Amino acid sequence: MRVKIEPRLDVPRWMPFASIFGALVVALLLGAILLAYGGLDPVTAYWQMLRVGFLEPYSFSDTMVKATPLILAGLGVAVAFKMRLWNIGAEGQLFLGAWATAGVALFWLPPTTPKPIMLAVMTLAGFVAGAVWGAIPGVLKAKLGVNEIISSLMLTYVAIQYNNYFVYGPWAAGGFGLTAPFPKTAWFPRLTDYGNAIPALRGLTAHMGIVYGIIAAVVLYVIFKYSKWGYELKVIGDNPNAARYAGMNLSRNIILTMVISGGLAGLAGMSELAGAVHRLQENFSPGYGFTAIIVAWLGRLNPLGIIIVGYLFGGLLVAGDVIQPAGIPLMIQGIILFCVISADTFTRYRIRIVRAAPVTATAAEV
Amino acid sequence: MKKVVSVLSIITLLALILTLAPANVLAQDEVTCESDVVVQADDWLSKIADKFFGDVLTFPAIFEATNAKAAADDSYATIADANLIEPGWKLCIPTAEYAQVILGVGVEAPTSAESIQIPTIVEGMTNVAFVYVGHIGDGGWTYAHNEGRRYLEANLENVNTAYLESVPEGADAERVIRNLARQGFDVIFTTSFGYMDPTGVVAEEFPDTAFVHISGQKKNATNFGNVFGAMEEMKYMAGMVAGAKAAEDGSNRVGIIAPFPIAEVIRLSNAAALGMRRTCPDCVMDIRWIFTWFDPVKEREAAESMLDAGATVIITGADTPGPVQAAGERGFTGLAYDSSNACLGLEAVCLGVPYWNWGPIYADIVNGVRDGTWVPEDYYGSTADGLLGFYGFMECQEPYPSVPASVIPEMQDVLGQMQAGTFNRFTMFTGPINDNQGNEVIPAGVSLSQSDLEGLSEGYMSAFSIEGREPCTICMGYLVEGFDSTAEIPPLN
Amino acid sequence: MSESQFAFEMRGITKRFPGVLANDNVDFAVREGEIHALLGENGAGKSTLMNMLNGLYRPDEGQIFIKDQAVRFSSPREAINHGIGMVHQHFMLVPTQSVAENLILGQSAPRFYINYSELEAQVAELSEKFGLAVDPRAKIWQLSVGEQQRVEVLKMLYQGAKILIMDEPTAVLTPQEVTDLFDTLRSMTASGHTIVFISHKLDEVVAIADRVTVLQRGRVTATVEGKDTTKAELARLMVGREVLFRIQKAPAQPGAEALVIENISCENDRGLPALRNLSLTVRAGEVVGIAGVAGNGQTELAEVIAGLRAATEGRVIVQGQEVTGKRVAAGEQSEASKGGSWDIQVSLDIGDSSINLSKGDERPEKQAAPIMVSEGLAYIPADRTGVGSSPNLSLIDNLILKAYRRPPIGKGWRIDLSLAREQAEKLVEQFNVMTPNVDTPARLLSGGNLQKLILAREISSRPKVIIAVYPVRGLDVGAIEAIHQMLIDERNRGTAILLISEDLDELLSLSDRIVVVFEGQIMGEVPPEDERVDEIGLMMAGTRVEAVHAS
Repeated sequence: MRVKIEPRLDVPRWMPFASIFGALVVALLLGAILLAYGGLDPVTAYWQMLRVGFLEPYSFSDTMVKATPLILAGLGVAVAFKMRLWNIGAEGQLFLGAWATAGVALFWLPPTTPKPIMLAVMTLAGFVAGAVWGAIPGVLKAKLGVNEIISSLMLTYVAIQYNNYFVYGPWAAGGFGLTAPFPKTAWFPRLTDYGNAIPALRGLTAHMGIVYGIIAAVVLYVIFKYSKWGYELKVIGDNPNAARYAGMNLSRNIILTMVISGGLAGLAGMSELAGAVHRLQENFSPGYGFTAIIVAWLGRLNPLGIIIVGYLFGGLLVAGDVIQPAGIPLMIQGIILFCVISADTFTRYRIRIVRAAPVTATAAEV
Repeated sequence: MKKVVSVLSIITLLALILTLAPANVLAQDEVTCESDVVVQADDWLSKIADKFFGDVLTFPAIFEATNAKAAADDSYATIADANLIEPGWKLCIPTAEYAQVILGVGVEAPTSAESIQIPTIVEGMTNVAFVYVGHIGDGGWTYAHNEGRRYLEANLENVNTAYLESVPEGADAERVIRNLARQGFDVIFTTSFGYMDPTGVVAEEFPDTAFVHISGQKKNATNFGNVFGAMEEMKYMAGMVAGAKAAEDGSNRVGIIAPFPIAEVIRLSNAAALGMRRTCPDCVMDIRWIFTWFDPVKEREAAESMLDAGATVIITGADTPGPVQAAGERGFTGLAYDSSNACLGLEAVCLGVPYWNWGPIYADIVNGVRDGTWVPEDYYGSTADGLLGFYGFMECQEPYPSVPASVIPEMQDVLGQMQAGTFNRFTMFTGPINDNQGNEVIPAGVSLSQSDLEGLSEGYMSAFSIEGREPCTICMGYLVEGFDSTAEIPPLN
Repeated sequence: MSESQFAFEMRGITKRFPGVLANDNVDFAVREGEIHALLGENGAGKSTLMNMLNGLYRPDEGQIFIKDQAVRFSSPREAINHGIGMVHQHFMLVPTQSVAENLILGQSAPRFYINYSELEAQVAELSEKFGLAVDPRAKIWQLSVGEQQRVEVLKMLYQGAKILIMDEPTAVLTPQEVTDLFDTLRSMTASGHTIVFISHKLDEVVAIADRVTVLQRGRVTATVEGKDTTKAELARLMVGREVLFRIQKAPAQPGAEALVIENISCENDRGLPALRNLSLTVRAGEVVGIAGVAGNGQTELAEVIAGLRAATEGRVIVQGQEVTGKRVAAGEQSEASKGGSWDIQVSLDIGDSSINLSKGDERPEKQAAPIMVSEGLAYIPADRTGVGSSPNLSLIDNLILKAYRRPPIGKGWRIDLSLAREQAEKLVEQFNVMTPNVDTPARLLSGGNLQKLILAREISSRPKVIIAVYPVRGLDVGAIEAIHQMLIDERNRGTAILLISEDLDELLSLSDRIVVVFEGQIMGEVPPEDERVDEIGLMMAGTRVEAVHAS
């Protein structure tokens, strides 16, 4: 007996769904073994995670808060990936977008600025700052052939340190690695803000950032599907030589794509600050920009898929709070991810158990 | 990409399997005694320890083993104070294996006894939740708070506690705190400065829940108070022993590791410098700013750097005992921080540990909430209140072997004054005190106010919307005489 | 059944792919020691059938017998264990390793220690025996395509193959190499090997095959003796109707100058001169054929005209309008980027499409060619899959590759998808592209169908000038006929066509004038007459037309 892995020649339509479902089951079983080993009833643990992440009245709001930056940054990543431009520096673009947002909210506009103007300028600043940070690897790639994977990743570290310099230096409040809070005019409207009128909304912190996410997703969907630019992205992504042959300007498209990609990641940073954190601080992002890569990928680069995957991921992050110590839910998240990603293999390969020798029969028998 | 993710997942998995392995294999009722010993006149625990294990510092093993045995078998003595054993007592000398476990647990994984848990309330009990910024096994700040939580469990009837660790400051903290309040916890302790605003926000939404924030200045009139303490007193003690040791070493140079340029850290560092100058007027203090509370590598590097510059005693203001170890490797000594067992395994090179003893104040607050007598306040505890300790000098403790004998009486004297309340932070920061450039910062006869000590500048108070406090006049933002004249505080704003 | 005379037999083989019946109840039997040609158009199911014999695919129905034993292979390894080896069109060799190392690749022995001198001696012996001259120590990348093919054959022999399947082996070879290969194949059968020779080239089949099995649309139409058959018969069996080997066309009626090339010089990818001061004129309604041995500047010429390559000197004039300067200004030169970019391999899978990134060699921009469509220039590139189409995109997307930019397909910022679909369906029908539907990814089309698709796209832009580079390379007779007819139809409509080809038959058949290039210069011009072939050959070898006539 021997296990063989063979490529699948044709992938049945149900296979991707089955593989993800199977992956979840396997992941939960693996997690259950570890939970049981650690002395916790897996059923209770999973039920609690499910409850907190998705089922409680406040779950939707909490999960949305976590999903918002994932969705926005995930969309940004997807734009670049659509063109097979590997912008893995969304985290850095997110940080820079957040930095510019904080600059506007705290220093560059007076706190008395009317809210719509304040938020509009913050949005613009967040987008532009992220776009600039995305454009750098874009220009390097387009003009000098510098690999965007390396440059965008390295720039992430630059952005994080740049942010640290400001929160500990010029913009610090008391040396704690955070700025003063934003004036209320720089806060996104939240559900809880209407808590006085509608008591049910009290304590629900979902904010306007998700509206940005949905709008961005719809716009991108339309662009991908119906626009000339979306078509160019597709062709460049699939075969740059054909694109060049068709007269598409690759340089311009690389830069433009990185600008949009970085801008959306920057918007994720802006929305996180204006909606949830309300100040700039060290480490305000627990790696949203990196998780966004996975979100974009599992969402199959489809804007609507990214919303769904982003929401599920948000729920998983929120659900993580219910089990202690903190390493346990992180591990379960890791296992789920590992399984879902591995399961992709099964859509492309089949595993067969064969006997030592190929089946042999005489012609006479047949 | 796929590969990276897969590799990460595998690492996560492995790491988890390893951490889950039950490290505390020997429960207390499984203690087996290698032999029994009856105490003779002139015996003391470390002497017996030295006899059986060849190391005076293994005495806690005998201490623990005997007490564990005594619980089941009353022929064994119950040792209340490790410094005090009576002739005729029967002691249990544990197997070397068990001794290893007792001694090792504190160093390797002080909290491995904690199993996986889901923070939930228990009906009919007082439910208390803790939000931690670090891991409970950090051996430092969070560890000390978790000891406080365990103190609650052990000492209060009808109390159910839960914790959430590694909660990021900011938006996540607000959600976590809110969900604890929603679940119905009666008291919620939030134990990091960055939780101040989130705690305040949630406190407004849940008027029936008591919220206590550690290390901040915010409060409200009904259900939100804060707690902190005069660690400067213990850092003064640290300075005293460090100065005496540096003088003995002949280097006259002490190094201090400062995490962040915030008023708290500056205050504690200054207190250490003042203490150092008390026992060694010629000593100079070096300082390194590391911009982190917990980073084993940076902490060590900072220590190495000051040792290279000639320091022979290192005081750390960050969480890990790495700096003490670094000093020990060069044949020098150091002081750890935060929790009473921070120097476990480093006894030979440790001079002491200024530590937090959160348990009693937590118990007071929880009791107060239960009785309805708790009133939110700016609680700032001191040595006199039992919130603080200096390991080696408190009850049931012996100074570490490296502490110069000559300084012990003076330190005991100072500690006595602190416990009596006659020497405190205000007397400590009474002028004349100059900064390290020789400029007078506290005029003769003037004592700093509480706001001065906490560095409550108007800018700070407005940035964090702190109300009900007077702003400082001589704000904590200088290094006192005793610091190297080139030392400075990194500029802010 | 008595002792079989067959090396192997395939009985009743049926294989389905989604939407395609690749093999339909195929019986195929090959005698020991013969060269058996498997003939058929592209997409007739030849490769599929042989891939089943080689263990890459498994038949849905039917069985394979080797010496009367039914066998099932689930991998090429099992096939080779039964003595069946296949040489694919795309070689499976490691470029940085030596010939000898490639031979033992994937072998279970030797396990640890490799005795190179012994191995090399074995290789040398094998090459000697079958006339497969190749240096065992040479690295693969140093070898010509023909030599690499020999390595593939050697690899199969070394691994013990008695039955060798050759998938279109001559497609990549020069005529001299083809001759050498045929000698090798004959010497192999002489020593007891059996050869299956997959091809769609009738001349070769007639020249080499002992027997021929013809496939048409997944079914066997006939198995005939090689010596008894003719090209015409085979072509009929293959296509299902009579094939015209020479296209029928009326004499050209050249009109105004449509494409004028004036003193063009340019460099090739390595920065060496490719075109030297070349001038050429193509008039409306004529086909000018460019003959020459590959690598004498033909591709570069097409690229310069199409605006994909910068000219160092000279002008290109289309329809009276100079387009050279514009393109150089519009595109960006990328000399700076040629070196220095890091080659990092990252592979990421999204759904069923595998994204493979090796962008070290992908220069950001060679030359964009935004002008040519507006100037009425159509360009049929030599590389259908690498340049001419976007493999994973649908036929619709491929058909609007140039039209998306302007009305009626492009409308403002968006693309009129329903119009694009409508036009695509019309073009697919009009140009007889065989496809399940217009949403099919282009990579699923056979070579001929893909080329029809590209022609459909180019011709539908109503060009005044068409540059066609090797338009029928690798295609079967049916497809060649169709493509040629399309080009002639265009010529008759008054389009100027520049045809670049290595196939003299094609040039003679289509061209109204033939120009011969050698080392980037024009050697001379000849009318397309069969009796002038020798003359063309001399000029292809570098003799100027004056000298030819003088001799």
